[in-house]
Amino acid sequence: MKLTTKKLALCAVLTALALGLSTLESLFPVSVLVPLPGIKLGLANIVTVFALYRLGDIPALAILIARCLLGAMFAGNASALLFSLMGGVLAMLTMIVLRRVRGLSVYGVSIAGAAAHNIGQICAAMVVLGGTAVLGYLPVLLGVSLITGTLTGFVASLLFRAMRGIYFTQ
Amino acid sequence: MTSGRSQPDLKPRPMDALVVLFVVLSAAIIAVLVYGKRESENLTATVKHRGETVAQVVLDTLQEEKTVTIDGKYHLTVTVTRDGVSVTESDCPGQDCVHTGRITKAGQSIVCLPEQVIVTMEGSSPSPDVILG
Amino acid sequence: MKRFACLLLAILMLLSLAACGKTAEPEKQELFAMDTYMSLAAYGDGAREALAAAAREINRLERELSRTIETSDVYKLNAGVTATVGDETAALLCRAVEYSEITGGLFDVTVAPLVTLWGITSDSPHIPSQSEIDSLLPTVGSGHIHLDGNSAMLDEGCAVDLGGIAKGYASDRVAQVLAQYGVTGAAVSLGGNVYICGQKPDGALWSVAVQDPKDTSAYAMTLELTDTFAVTSGGYQRFFTGEDGTVYQHILDPRTGKPAVTDILSVTVVAGNGTMADAYSTALYVMGEEAACDFWRQRGGFDMVLITADGRVLYTPGLAAHITQKGASYDFRQITT
Repeated sequence: MKLTTKKLALCAVLTALALGLSTLESLFPVSVLVPLPGIKLGLANIVTVFALYRLGDIPALAILIARCLLGAMFAGNASALLFSLMGGVLAMLTMIVLRRVRGLSVYGVSIAGAAAHNIGQICAAMVVLGGTAVLGYLPVLLGVSLITGTLTGFVASLLFRAMRGIYFTQ
Repeated sequence: MTSGRSQPDLKPRPMDALVVLFVVLSAAIIAVLVYGKRESENLTATVKHRGETVAQVVLDTLQEEKTVTIDGKYHLTVTVTRDGVSVTESDCPGQDCVHTGRITKAGQSIVCLPEQVIVTMEGSSPSPDVILG
Repeated sequence: MKRFACLLLAILMLLSLAACGKTAEPEKQELFAMDTYMSLAAYGDGAREALAAAAREINRLERELSRTIETSDVYKLNAGVTATVGDETAALLCRAVEYSEITGGLFDVTVAPLVTLWGITSDSPHIPSQSEIDSLLPTVGSGHIHLDGNSAMLDEGCAVDLGGIAKGYASDRVAQVLAQYGVTGAAVSLGGNVYICGQKPDGALWSVAVQDPKDTSAYAMTLELTDTFAVTSGGYQRFFTGEDGTVYQHILDPRTGKPAVTDILSVTVVAGNGTMADAYSTALYVMGEEAACDFWRQRGGFDMVLITADGRVLYTPGLAAHITQKGASYDFRQITT
């Protein structure tokens, strides 16, 4: 796969967009539900889902990691990096596999991604805080991921519909 | 494995319900595992004889009474049930270990000095750092 | 190159996270010494070395203070007419005599011949006759100990057993050893002689539970303490049941030569000195509620908790703020000054 200037620019734009969404979702008070630092809804998954389908696995992963690193730099918080990386990478791997499964719509893929995102974050929390006590929040977060996953899927479907016929890779 | 489609199905499909079901089931299983365990104290009894661990018993999963016998200069019978641990029989002088009775909480211990046996209870619930008496 | 630097930075960040995730477990050490079970736990960089040094110190003290080890100072003292003892043994004997005088003879290391006679914690406990007791009672009394510098002598037929003070003294020594190694927090129990200092890594103080004498699986109360010594004396755990069904507990009343008859089940002394706490707890137990309260009012310098046979927990005002849990089956009262 050749890395064109167009594609590089697109990756950069998507990274910026993902960062914007990350910041946006920090306005949603998940912390009311789950009093853990660094736990987020995973709205930036919209970008991940989009990039995954339109740009492929590797660029999507690159965008994700760039987003995580930059986000942590902005937040100035090392543990935030671990949270977003664990969540993001797990979600990415799940979606990389699931998008190849026939019969799954963008909704199914993004719900699975959101769930994986939260599982990854709880794993990070277990590493940072030590012990398995935080595992108790996972069922709540998984419930929330059904909603955020559906939401992500919905937004992504709108995006795909709007950009029907516009391809970047061919 | 194919490289995947660049245009996903945009409308929910029946298969998506499977994903939802899977997530719900995982949540339920984790909830049962975590909260089910939290209610019980996750107690574990450890029997040490002259510095060596001779038995370790998880109390919650115990179906029936379990006995651990220790044979040294003296002979002790340690009885473990779901409710606690006690030294039920001993031919040691003093009988302090038998007099200690049954221990049921994390942090408690039974000590037999003549035979150097220590029975300790550990668990997930907060326990005092030291016990006087 | 830049990319490499970034990668390195990211790895370093992750590594630093791993350090945060480490749950702090204390260093632990357990040993059988001085006729009891000891467990020590400490936090801090030098914790492991500190505990090893503490264990060595305990073993050293046992070699000097044991009544049964033939090379010990105490053994020599009990066997010979005049014995030359080490500075430490001499000083401890001196303190034993002092505490005996302070407590009106209710704490007395010269009760040893009677302890042997009863043999309550030995292989063969037995109930002696009154005449046997009467024949040994004259050997009891700190006046039988004659100290002159490092030379010590006992009157004919007398013997000392530092068992009632040695563990307390050991806890004082352990406290000094731990301080030398700079531990940040430690909880030490030398067979019920407790020393706690510093704090846990999360900043919490130590929770010290007092055993419920009526129900060994429960606690009568929990105290939050640090930088102090605590000892509990009670007759509820070490005892034997005679042929007639009477329960004889192990603490003897030096006045009668028999197991103490008291209206309290256990005494807990909390003080800044382990040796004193050890000696006092025994004496207060023998005294009983009223005399124990009077003793505290007159002397002070320590805090205490008395658990009475009729179900009351009496505590000195100094402990009021440290009580974190109260046993439901007891009536808690503060002792008036």
